[in-house]
Amino acid sequence: MKSMFNRSVLANRSILAFAAIALLAGTTFASAQQADKNRPLKKYESGTKEFWTHPPDDWFLGDETEAQKGLAPPSGPPTGASDAELAAMMKKIKLPPGFKIEVYASNVLAARQMAWGDKGTLFVGSFGLGNVYAIKDNNGKKEVKTILKGLNMPTGLTFKDGALYVIAVDKLIKYDNAEANLDNLGQGKVVYDDMPSYAAHGWKYITVDKDGWFYLPFGPPFNVGIPPTSVSQIRRVDPKTGNAEIWALGVRNSVGGDIDPRTGKYWFTENARDWISDDLPSDKLNMISKIGEHFGYPYCHQGNLPDDKFAMGHKCSEFTPPVFNLGAHVAPLGMKFYTGNQFPAEYKNSILIAEHGSWNRHKYQGGRIVRITAGPDGKNAKQEIFASGWIEGDQGYLGRPNDILLDKDGSILVADDWAGAIYRISYSKK
Amino acid sequence: MLRQFGSRALLGGALVLAVAPTRAADIAAGKEKAEMCVGCHGENGISQMENIPSLAGQLDQFVQWQLVFFRAGARKNEQMQPIVEQLNNEDIRNLGAYFASLTPPKGPKDDDPDLSAKGKQAAAGRRCASCHTDTYVGTKAVARLAGQREEYLVKALHDYKSGVRSGGAQAVMADVAYPLSEEEITALAHYLAHL
Repeated sequence: MKSMFNRSVLANRSILAFAAIALLAGTTFASAQQADKNRPLKKYESGTKEFWTHPPDDWFLGDETEAQKGLAPPSGPPTGASDAELAAMMKKIKLPPGFKIEVYASNVLAARQMAWGDKGTLFVGSFGLGNVYAIKDNNGKKEVKTILKGLNMPTGLTFKDGALYVIAVDKLIKYDNAEANLDNLGQGKVVYDDMPSYAAHGWKYITVDKDGWFYLPFGPPFNVGIPPTSVSQIRRVDPKTGNAEIWALGVRNSVGGDIDPRTGKYWFTENARDWISDDLPSDKLNMISKIGEHFGYPYCHQGNLPDDKFAMGHKCSEFTPPVFNLGAHVAPLGMKFYTGNQFPAEYKNSILIAEHGSWNRHKYQGGRIVRITAGPDGKNAKQEIFASGWIEGDQGYLGRPNDILLDKDGSILVADDWAGAIYRISYSKK
Repeated sequence: MLRQFGSRALLGGALVLAVAPTRAADIAAGKEKAEMCVGCHGENGISQMENIPSLAGQLDQFVQWQLVFFRAGARKNEQMQPIVEQLNNEDIRNLGAYFASLTPPKGPKDDDPDLSAKGKQAAAGRRCASCHTDTYVGTKAVARLAGQREEYLVKALHDYKSGVRSGGAQAVMADVAYPLSEEEITALAHYLAHL
């Protein structure tokens, strides 16, 4: 008995040695997986007030389950993709016949929402880097200039009446006469700051409506729970006066929207809760018909799935259903109605949505651009895949699209915060 | 059993091969560029200077992120700022690959095992291992802590606690360090420095 025990210890040792070699030869991936196996499952009480007054450091892992254990948001390459990598990537992107994708600008690290200045400057926000970029065309070569630094997650921005507006979690900052002052924008002026400072789901997106008011999304500082009353909503804010109204309720994490050119109504994408399963619940495309509508969070997901813990007696029928369920963990972010003339006629007024792609799913999905066509009333929505190929293997990214912007000629630009690049997709009839 | 591990080693090799041509970080170029780092961060990335971290064996992605943060001004440091402003993305990739390729520092002999035991307990309570891994060698964009200079670890935790440094996109470390007591910081630094 004793000798057998000794032998098995020895055997184990040689296996360990082999494992060490395997790890050295491989990547840190294997060791991370090993660590995941050894650590106990976390327990969260996401319904308590303490959870949102001081979200835990790993707040995005809230409500981790045994089945989804070990899944975490991946970290992209810090310096984005090199020009050679981008060139190789472009060949892998699939588009409908007649469409072409090319790199518009590289070295736009962590690129998020885009907006055009009146004089042709492309402004681009970023995520954790805190940068805002201005991209100018210099004889066909795109020059990327960092014009603002050190802001708090300036993911959203827009341009209006000569001014650049940047939303940095709890501050809407206006930079007057921006295109003439790209070398020195100064401190800007905070025009609205009645917003919580949570980093968690605190990053935002700006959509301007026909009256010049801004739609701003407010995400809850956790996965799922009873949200602080200042969040889980969409507000409509007048940047001139700082007046604001709560336009919609029951919204989880929305980081994209656009005004329907047919009706003037606000449509928006919404990221559903995590940690139920790989296939539930679906992320959504929504439309707000009238002020004060409730979209279901945290009581009801995807229009028909009451939350196990937080439904609290509510029925899904109490809430505004989605226009379309886009799929679980596809992470729909920036979106635009196509109003240009370059693409085929059937694209007119259809919606192009940049899907950032999964992290809380064993096999990633999303990481692509989808096209939704729907009536002005939100009825009869249909989806087709427009651009794909940014996911490699089960859990690998070449890039992650997150915003779309129309160019004057009717082509579209796509922002990618993983590869740190902007792409152009154009169409020509051959 | 043996064959299984053998094939994993093979697979690891294949991965490196598959990744190398696209990533194309140049360790030799990184080494050349890193000559300007030696004055403070030491020969072969082992710091002999107080409050300056060793970089040997630090994670490639972590090194790159810190350089990108310094360059963007998201992480502020008077010494690093002017140096990093000169670096392009390729330099940063090469420096990450170079420092990751160096043999990491080995912690000195533990002169206070009781303090280490307290540090170990604090690390477990604060769930440090869920990101930094059970052996604290780090992974991907998360830093290696094992064997780092003790007084630098104290400094880093103070910087996170006071909000001077916020870390990565999720500001995770600021939240972790905020409630730490001085006692815990001392113990954590001692424990990690002697791994």
